[in-house]
Amino acid sequence: MSRHLLQLLAAAACLATAGSSAHAAAPATPDLTARLARIADRIASIDAQATRIEDYNEIRNLQRIYGFYFDEALWDQVVDLFSNDATVEVGPHGVYAGKASIRRYYLGLTGGRVGLQHGELNNQSQLSPVITLAADGQSAKARWRVLVQDGVFKQGSNWGGGVYENEYVKQDGVWKIRRLHFFTRFYSPYKDGWTRTTEALNARYGRSTAKPDRPSSLRYATWPERFVAPMHFAGEGVGVYRLAPANTARAAAAANGQQRTVAQLEAEVRALELKVARLRAVDDIENLQGTYGYYVDMSMADPTAALFADDATLEILQRGVYIGRDRIYEYMRRLGLPSQGRMFTHMLQQPVIHVSSDGSRAWLRGRQFEIFGVHNVQAQWAENTYEHSYTRHEGVWKIQTFNAWHSFYAPYEGGWSEQSNPMNYYPEYPPDLPHSVKYEPYPSIFVAPFHYRNPVSGR
Amino acid sequence: MLAGLALAASVGPASEPVVTDVRVINETRRVQLLEARLASLQREVEMIEDRRAIERLQQAWGHYISEGMAAQAAALFSDSPAASIEFAQQGVYLGRQRIQAFLAIAARTAPGELRETPVMQPVIHVSADGRSARGRWRAMVLGGQRGQDGRWDEGPFENEYVKENGAWKILHMHWYTTMSGSYDKGWHKEPYPAAGPLRELPPDRPPTMVYESFPGFYLPPYHYLHPVTGKPVAWDDLAAEGAR
Repeated sequence: MSRHLLQLLAAAACLATAGSSAHAAAPATPDLTARLARIADRIASIDAQATRIEDYNEIRNLQRIYGFYFDEALWDQVVDLFSNDATVEVGPHGVYAGKASIRRYYLGLTGGRVGLQHGELNNQSQLSPVITLAADGQSAKARWRVLVQDGVFKQGSNWGGGVYENEYVKQDGVWKIRRLHFFTRFYSPYKDGWTRTTEALNARYGRSTAKPDRPSSLRYATWPERFVAPMHFAGEGVGVYRLAPANTARAAAAANGQQRTVAQLEAEVRALELKVARLRAVDDIENLQGTYGYYVDMSMADPTAALFADDATLEILQRGVYIGRDRIYEYMRRLGLPSQGRMFTHMLQQPVIHVSSDGSRAWLRGRQFEIFGVHNVQAQWAENTYEHSYTRHEGVWKIQTFNAWHSFYAPYEGGWSEQSNPMNYYPEYPPDLPHSVKYEPYPSIFVAPFHYRNPVSGR
Repeated sequence: MLAGLALAASVGPASEPVVTDVRVINETRRVQLLEARLASLQREVEMIEDRRAIERLQQAWGHYISEGMAAQAAALFSDSPAASIEFAQQGVYLGRQRIQAFLAIAARTAPGELRETPVMQPVIHVSADGRSARGRWRAMVLGGQRGQDGRWDEGPFENEYVKENGAWKILHMHWYTTMSGSYDKGWHKEPYPAAGPLRELPPDRPPTMVYESFPGFYLPPYHYLHPVTGKPVAWDDLAAEGAR
């Protein structure tokens, strides 16, 4: 074939495919035009669904972020999470309206100080979300349960429980808390347990020195009286799976009437694929970290270590840094075999998950609550703050950096306000690097670094 | 560029290019590809929505149980005759009526009784066709009667869910007891055995798995394969030996 003929053929190929080019001169056929319009509608509709899932995730993160700031009495961070017209109502203590009052309320819980004092513990696990988005996607309601473990070292500690029925609002694309309403159920000294609580003991929870703006919106008796905090959801709608009603997607499609080229639609689909992949990543990370806990409960070193990347790092308490999956396996193996008379639970609570903009990395802050012990010998409570990162390897998420920041290990007898065990080491299995940050456990105050900024103020 | 086009032209008819370079690929084919990618995105986004619906369903269960609302909890189950509930060592109850009867006894709270049941740590997998799902969760229960000793209960769920007429329902609920025990003495000093069958309402089937909760030690099976290796996870011989 002569060179000349090849060039001719190339020119012919160019002509034949010209219609498909983004800069096509020839108009698309009527059939194709209709298909392109349907594709544009479909993109708008899936995008509207994906946005609702983002909303759901942001609200879930928001309440959990609130909880982690509340734990540490970081009141500036807490107040930033509210909308200007927000209200706060906790137990029987009245309603605080507007950000200035809300600020006074929180400062009044800690004698006007921001941050905890040596010996104070203020753990407020944010659990059991039922999140319901409004039809227009601009507001939401949620019910949560809270488990409280607090106290002052050598002075006493409490168990507490109750329910939030909260409201959230989206302003300029950012979700904020508009109404925080906590219904105290019980708040009882550790030594007697919740079954011996009283109305007066329960009323201690959430009492601020600041005066409320108005009386409580609802009077009720706490446990052991029977009272069900009003539920914003009803049985029939609970399992409905569409977060976005069908008309939202249609409206989004209608507003998107402008005609696009194939190349423009391809770019939009690529962006949508990334948006959906980042949403999927949140679920994959939640599964992965939950799975870690279920494997460690059973002392299964092999499957636990297999959740880590080849070059992962592991830092637990102040035992130093172990580098690489093989070293992590050895670490896990040293936790011992499962056995009769031994229990070892690793509850993952309150995960706050973020995914990088390119979908290749993710981060999680969480609360690890442990109950462990040996039959007739001893039992302990423990709490750690997780700050982990994850990377994606050929579509599979793995743990890249694992850091469990020690809060307390305390004997069952007496609880965390009586004794907080010192950090222990593995002298027979030295780490590859010393621990990255030196700190002391409770009763010292140490705020584990956050992987995120304040989602409302960026503080 | 010219060389690339020439190659494309030389390996096949211009109307059926085999390359995926958008500069040469046929427009109809590009539209087909977009439609296929959107179909797969649609499935993916619905699966992510499904997970949230299941989270709401399971957490609503936890709220109802915590409030002693047995009838509302039972209403979260599927109408299917195969629907089932199994708690601890109490056996299996089949069908919504029997589930409701079981919960009316097991989930009712007497005056002055607490059953605070936070539910956490979901590992959820929605099936490829989006019609069913499985979830592992953990519940911790703070229980007891006013003025008496309190109690702890802890253990995982392995549940199955089904989508019926646009709403998710619980098809099978199985809660395993890891530990139950006294508050005052401590669960490690005074553990209680996993609850047995109700005398007043015998189950339809015996327990699917016989085990002893703490101080016994057993592995509540996982519904899922290892997320990285893709292999089933169970104890190796050595670990199983330790557990005996």
